[in-house]
Amino acid sequence: MTNLIRGLVSFGVASLAVAFLLARALPREAAASLGYLVGLFAFLIGVGGLAAFQHWLKDKEEEQVHGWQRYFRFTTDHKVIGVQYLVTSLVVFVLAGVMALVIRVELAKPGLQFLSYDTYNTVMGIHGIGMIVVALIAIIGGLGNFSVPLMIGTKDMAFPRLNALSFWILPPAVLLLLSSLVTGGFDFGWTAYPPLSVRGPLGKLFFVLAFISVGFSSIFGGVNFVATISQLRAKGMSLFKMPIFVWSILAAGIIIVLATSVVASALLMILFDRVLGTTFFDPSQGGNVLLYQHLFWFYSHPAVYIMILPAFGVILELLPVYARKPLFAYRLAALSFVAIVVLSFVVWAHHLFTSGMWDALSIPFMVTTELISVPTGVVFLSALGTLWLGKLQLKTPMLFALGFLVNFLIGGLTGIFNADVPTDLHLQDTWFVVAHFHFTIMGGAIFAWFAGIYHWFPKITGKMYNETLGKIHFWLLLIGFNATFIPMFWLGTRGMRRRVADFPPDLASVQLWISLVGLMVVLAVAVFLFNMIRSWVKGESAPSNPWEARTLEWNP
Amino acid sequence: MEQKTTPVLKGGSDPNGIRGLPPYLIIAGLTVLCSIGLFSVVSHVRMMPEAASYEATWVDQAFDGLLKLTIPIFSLVLMTLLFSVVRFRTRPGRPHEEGVRFDRSRGEFVEVLWIAISLVLTVGLAAFGAKEFRLIRGTDQADVDIQVNSSQWSWEFFYPSYNQYASSLILPEGKRVRLLLTSKDVVHSFWVPEFRVKQDALPGKVVKLLFTPSKTGTYQLLCAELCGTEHTIMTARVNVVDAKAFEATMKEESWEGR
Ligand SMILES: [Cu+2]
Ligand SMILES: [Cu+2]
Repeated sequence: MTNLIRGLVSFGVASLAVAFLLARALPREAAASLGYLVGLFAFLIGVGGLAAFQHWLKDKEEEQVHGWQRYFRFTTDHKVIGVQYLVTSLVVFVLAGVMALVIRVELAKPGLQFLSYDTYNTVMGIHGIGMIVVALIAIIGGLGNFSVPLMIGTKDMAFPRLNALSFWILPPAVLLLLSSLVTGGFDFGWTAYPPLSVRGPLGKLFFVLAFISVGFSSIFGGVNFVATISQLRAKGMSLFKMPIFVWSILAAGIIIVLATSVVASALLMILFDRVLGTTFFDPSQGGNVLLYQHLFWFYSHPAVYIMILPAFGVILELLPVYARKPLFAYRLAALSFVAIVVLSFVVWAHHLFTSGMWDALSIPFMVTTELISVPTGVVFLSALGTLWLGKLQLKTPMLFALGFLVNFLIGGLTGIFNADVPTDLHLQDTWFVVAHFHFTIMGGAIFAWFAGIYHWFPKITGKMYNETLGKIHFWLLLIGFNATFIPMFWLGTRGMRRRVADFPPDLASVQLWISLVGLMVVLAVAVFLFNMIRSWVKGESAPSNPWEARTLEWNP
Repeated sequence: MEQKTTPVLKGGSDPNGIRGLPPYLIIAGLTVLCSIGLFSVVSHVRMMPEAASYEATWVDQAFDGLLKLTIPIFSLVLMTLLFSVVRFRTRPGRPHEEGVRFDRSRGEFVEVLWIAISLVLTVGLAAFGAKEFRLIRGTDQADVDIQVNSSQWSWEFFYPSYNQYASSLILPEGKRVRLLLTSKDVVHSFWVPEFRVKQDALPGKVVKLLFTPSKTGTYQLLCAELCGTEHTIMTARVNVVDAKAFEATMKEESWEGR
């Protein structure tokens, strides 16, 4: 704990001191950027990053810390880092969830209740980017770090120190993002389209810096997974003997490595426009605002597969365990992950059908986007084929896996309405889109995350979770989630725009319903957190392989 | 661990059915029921607002077409899932049993069939989408040109052939209009839900949007691209009037004139 506190204090002191000192000589934004950069390094040193490098230089073994203290310092053990990612994801999930609650209170009635337009925009933006970060790191960073090395029979990741670095970049980035609440906020959602993002308060700069930091963290993680999975597999584990979860992490890792630098460069261009006075996105100086949208979505569409491929992996890994039979169409499922990686790079402009892009481009991008439904369909084939004639054990992880299938079915099919150019002309930037991506990300990735947490909980903690509480969590969440988000499709088609703080009175009853029934989701998450904490502290000890799974991580 | 290879999914006396009914018959029946239920729900709740342009009828037709495609697929997958959960679940406390896997050739047959069907559906879907999109965009000819100038956070309209400025959009019924959209500052987006078509307005660029209003009435123009503080209230009134009234209003010297 001391390490974490030391890190946080160093971050605060160093960044503020440098920023205020430099502000005398430099423009405000440049001073703030450099302050953050120095603060980031101070944080890394504070949590013990320097010590790790000294050990490396002197070729010494890292000192072993046991007990709960090890979770609060810079360590290279992949299991510890996995837990750090899991807990951090949960913290950000709760924070961004609180933002969702604030939004729902504001939208319970027509008219402005208690937020100003600017605060609403910032709260909505923090909810968005916060949940994006959760979806990006929860499964790969958490479950991937913990399980992948064990599943392929290696001692640790290929680059353990890089692994720790990629995790410890996140806390300062999250703090920076939250501090935008008191530095003017940001009013561009999570997409930061210029010219809007190039002008305005310091809060926008903080968003851009935080986004770039998360990008770096993500790239470090992605490189590490690709290297580990391609180089460090146990003897005899050929590609087509890898567990399907490992396949999914490899696929997601490849997307991260290839795509993230593109969005990072787009955000750097915004940073340069703001801080250095370049004019990449200033049309009056020959800049081009659509360029940003292309670069942004060239990453941000594949990014949804960074979120959802590991979710597919978790689900297809778990179904065979709880259906007591091997995965159906394993080879085809693995190949479909590869197909998704390839296709994900040629669909980005489906976000630009109404943007003013050349119309003739819309058709090919519609075709490629709809083609992704073929490999995605394979995941369903694989799942249904595994369930068929199985002996299903409806434990909590299995329930979440089944819930995933239902939600993602809705999310995937409604995606067709957005991919189809004629209907997208109407649906783009409405709540139909909001409902669609909550079904894929929350109903999909987050459900899969919960499934994986319950499944690996005995392995991670050595304790069993409470099955009854787990089932209560599942049913509350499944019903609450669907009751909350299904009406949003209707709101969207009726004319409810995205990212607005108010709505016409004829939509009021549905909005109130959503605000009320959304509380079920809050309750479900509370039950989950209670179960996790209680079971970890005083749950009964778990047998070494409670689910009789066949993958390597359960070997004693 | 031993894996049995049992042929499955034979009709007649399939041991996996319920009460003598074979599984595929049960799933088919449930799928039909579920589809009928969902179709009646979506027609009851009226998904779309009133259609007030010719393009809107094309969009609505595309939307209905997609419902006809996705509702049966949704029902089929969901009912197969439900059937499997009900039929193949084990009671807690029973001794562990292993599931039965498909034999190789049957499995591969199902895989190929699944891919073939989804490919055909996807290609058909895209072809329909492309055709409808061409119908919506139509020709480049228009009866009336209107410049739409957006800025944080208001709309302004200029009718070049009448030399008229306006703060609300007035449109002739049944005449094809060409909007020339642009922005003074950040990205905005022109959207009237009743017209369905949506188009961003970009700074430093003029983007065209052509459509034909088909129903007189008052509607609301909404900015659909997040554009800062007052994005929520960046709206304007839209009046569709018959062609005669449109000409008359345009020729009124003092009409909101500047
Ligand atoms: Cu996309
Ligand atoms: Cu606007």
